[in-house]
Amino acid sequence: MTNTLSRRDFLKLGGAAGAALAVGQILPAPVAQAAKEAGHLNADGDGYISSMCEMCVWRCGLIAKIKDGRVVKLDGNPEHPHSRGNLCPRGQSGLMNTYDPDRVLTPLIRVGKRGEGLFRKASWDEALDLVASKMKEIKDKYGPEAMVFSSTHNLSQVQFENLLYAYGSPNYGTQRSLCFNAMITAFLLTYGVEEPARNYENAEYILMIGRNMMEAISTSETGELSRALDRGAKLVYLDPRYTKTASKATEWIPIRPGTDSAFLLAMINVITQNKLADCEFVEKYVQGCDELPTAMQRYTPAWAEQITGVPAATIERIAREYAAAKHNAMAHPGWRTSNFINSFQTERAIATLNALSGTVMSPGGCLSTEVAAEGAGLGAPPQPPYPRVSALRLDGAPWMYPLVPLKLGVFQHLRDSIVSGEPYQAHGWFISRQNPVASLPDRNKTLQAFEKMDFIVTVDIVMNDTAWFSDVILPEASYLERYDPLLPVGGKAFLRQPVIEPQGEAKSALWIYKQLGERLGLGDFFQYADEEDYLRQQLAPLGVTLEEVKAKGYAEMPEEEHSGSEFTFNTPSGKIEVYSETLKNAGFSPWPTWEEPPMPAEGEFYLLTGKVAQHTQFGTQNNQLLHKYSDEPRLWMNAKTAAARGLQDADWVLVTSPVGKAHVQLLATEAIRPDCVYMTPGYGHISKGLTTAFGVGASDSVLHVTYTDPISGGQALSQTFVTVQKA
Amino acid sequence: MTDTIQHKAYLFDATRCIDCRACMVACSVENNIPMDKTRIWVAGVGVTGEFPTLQRSTMVAHCMHCVHPDCMSACPVGAYSKAADGPVSYNPDLCIGCRYCMNACAFGVPHFDYDKGIVDGAFIDKCTFCPQRIYNGDEPACVATCPTDALEYGEREELLKKAHERIAAHPGKYIDHVYGEFEKGGTSYLVLSHVPFRDLGLPEMDEHPINETTEAIMEGTIPFAVAWAGVLTAVAGVSRVISKQKENASPEKPHTEAKE
Ligand code: SF4
Ligand code: SF4
Ligand code: SF4
Repeated sequence: MTNTLSRRDFLKLGGAAGAALAVGQILPAPVAQAAKEAGHLNADGDGYISSMCEMCVWRCGLIAKIKDGRVVKLDGNPEHPHSRGNLCPRGQSGLMNTYDPDRVLTPLIRVGKRGEGLFRKASWDEALDLVASKMKEIKDKYGPEAMVFSSTHNLSQVQFENLLYAYGSPNYGTQRSLCFNAMITAFLLTYGVEEPARNYENAEYILMIGRNMMEAISTSETGELSRALDRGAKLVYLDPRYTKTASKATEWIPIRPGTDSAFLLAMINVITQNKLADCEFVEKYVQGCDELPTAMQRYTPAWAEQITGVPAATIERIAREYAAAKHNAMAHPGWRTSNFINSFQTERAIATLNALSGTVMSPGGCLSTEVAAEGAGLGAPPQPPYPRVSALRLDGAPWMYPLVPLKLGVFQHLRDSIVSGEPYQAHGWFISRQNPVASLPDRNKTLQAFEKMDFIVTVDIVMNDTAWFSDVILPEASYLERYDPLLPVGGKAFLRQPVIEPQGEAKSALWIYKQLGERLGLGDFFQYADEEDYLRQQLAPLGVTLEEVKAKGYAEMPEEEHSGSEFTFNTPSGKIEVYSETLKNAGFSPWPTWEEPPMPAEGEFYLLTGKVAQHTQFGTQNNQLLHKYSDEPRLWMNAKTAAARGLQDADWVLVTSPVGKAHVQLLATEAIRPDCVYMTPGYGHISKGLTTAFGVGASDSVLHVTYTDPISGGQALSQTFVTVQKA
Repeated sequence: MTDTIQHKAYLFDATRCIDCRACMVACSVENNIPMDKTRIWVAGVGVTGEFPTLQRSTMVAHCMHCVHPDCMSACPVGAYSKAADGPVSYNPDLCIGCRYCMNACAFGVPHFDYDKGIVDGAFIDKCTFCPQRIYNGDEPACVATCPTDALEYGEREELLKKAHERIAAHPGKYIDHVYGEFEKGGTSYLVLSHVPFRDLGLPEMDEHPINETTEAIMEGTIPFAVAWAGVLTAVAGVSRVISKQKENASPEKPHTEAKE
């Protein structure tokens, strides 16, 4: 297969959207008034403004270049630890998100049937009054728990949460259970920390379990991994697909999907049976160190070979190499670890391997559990305590899922409870910066949940699929047009500030939530006059003025205290809990353990999804620049498997799962296991308000079956099996 | 063979490039490139081999900014120029649309815009070396954003030194050759690779500048080319139709209608 993007591919957007304008023709980009006042520009109207990217959650520092009073380019901020002067393709394309011709620029109120796409323009007052009155009506009639709130990780989320807690609803859906529940739950239980920090400086042996770092880019971390490889670090990479990370790995292991934990347990077996870990050191910090060899005895490499398809000798060798690298070995915790219902066990095994290598207990080790809490050290507006909530959560945490961290929740279960009406019926849905119609598994079911709703309101910058089915759309200012709360990273609090005036009537999330809060009689929870006042209150303890921060882009934070050479862990025993009483008490295995995942039947394939470097989840496919430079979203199938079924590259095929069907074009390639097919997530948009993305590719969510891991609450995204026929 | 003058250059290391295309998006924004055009693209054979023994061979391609540019010597009206410090630039106001440069460039860089036709002027486009950035102390846009330092910018001599040091420091990792050091008398886009250069889409060529001969031949072509300009207008119209038809028949054409 040649999977390259030749010059002739570039006619695609010209064909798709009719017009083929240059970026400069699309972007009026007048610089923000605030930026002018802050003295960022010289007399000619040229200058630089530093802010933060929001094309993904890594939030690189950026510098907007202003020429003649217009924003012409975004570059990485060399002073920001997440960008170090670079931006990924999504970050580079940010101006195009802001100047998407499909931006929603006034509040809209639905006039046609849901999903018909007929809306009328409204003033902010009318739209906000309508939303507030509907929310009050629902609260009065059914109680605050009948209102569901959902939003995906963003800097204004703290005020979104403020709104929902002040309103008094326990029902909050985030992307987390569709992404990292397995990783975070496992690391909380084992180390008492959500996500350990990675340090590649001394890394010599890196194990990545499906962490496609070269395509699921976090600019600085991707760069660090690349530089580690440049200086000779080894990367062992497990993935059923030959991704771009696989192509850079020292060793690529195309393991059978769902069996990563068997591979890792066998590694632990080899290390413990052969006493390859520095036991004296490990014993001091690890709960269960003495019994671990017995608990892992049955997971021999020979046993794992049967399950994973990886030769026992390979597993044994990798285990020995990993142990030999000691605290310069890292088993990467991963990120989107929602793969199988046993993914929690995979993460527990990863956590255990990092304990055995001693890396978390060693200064300069590859993983660190000393992670500062988000927002620590900054001020916040005063507010009264939240009302008490007594209703059960519709997502089943903790009454069905006792170990799921309340902050993470189980979004797919929340959706299912809306459909079933159990234990009570929800009636309203407030969605901000999220596209659940596209992101939750089983799209048909999500649309059924929408049908149950009396009222749906969506806050977004474009007419995404969820907005398309909403009753009211509130247009948010894009990340280049607004302020957000400060973000501390590496000893500095970074600022997102407007570089461009908001277009049309678009407003910041901070403004929208406050307006709604006031209309709902919750004004005491929003004690800030405007965005700048909010920031000033945040900066108060630092003794820095907002003006200084606007000019510099960040404020210095006071030095964090270091706990010294003694490592303590925020777990019940104060040690690393490879053995966990908490798990045992909840009725689960206290040790990392093997749980057999389901397998596809004869004629079926594992349906895999995974990132490409040009897109973030479901929100960037309409960006013309990213559309221009990404490959067409096709269904990957092993070339020999395809040939055996009479299928050819570029054939249209019908993919069928237990819950849905999708038509998509085939990519016959050697770069995938014969028992798998793969599709890029985030395509197949159904909103006709997304003129670039509409109808391009197929939706993985249409096909995904809902399966929830009972321990972490994670959705098992690779556990859907499909058949593929010629269309 | 190489110039002794202070010459700017790029170093591209295929072992570092993750094909993320940040460089391409950056170029589009920096240089206001229309959505259906590009100055910088992915070249190479892609993934080869049989599962599970595979290899990926791609590179980021743009103008090589040759030390002795063939486009320039082929151009009958002097629309191309070579700056002493590196950039090969193109002046659309002088171009008559003869497309000699397209044929002359061994790397397929000058790109004819059939949609605009000859009379509309600017129909060749190629990488400019971002003069608006490099003469203001910045790196070219593509280089500046690369998250893995697969693209670097600097003095040609220094980059060559760096490239040879990298080869020496990692025995067995690289092909022991810096593409562009001598090819065609030297280019300003230098390439390091772990796979044969032809798999990255780079032509194998001898190490003398071809234009020592083409320069001589082209001397007498100006009147000829001007005479042909009128004919070419008609030809361009025809080729546009052909290229459109090819595009429609192409299996790689994106499908914009929902089939779901
Ligand atoms: S990784 Fe890319 S999208 Fe994410 S914040 Fe950085 S530049 Fe933006
Ligand atoms: S930005 Fe760097 S890593 Fe990404 S495609 Fe360009 S050269 Fe390769
Ligand atoms: S040097 Fe400038 S014009 Fe040339 S490819 Fe790079 S960004 Fe584009």
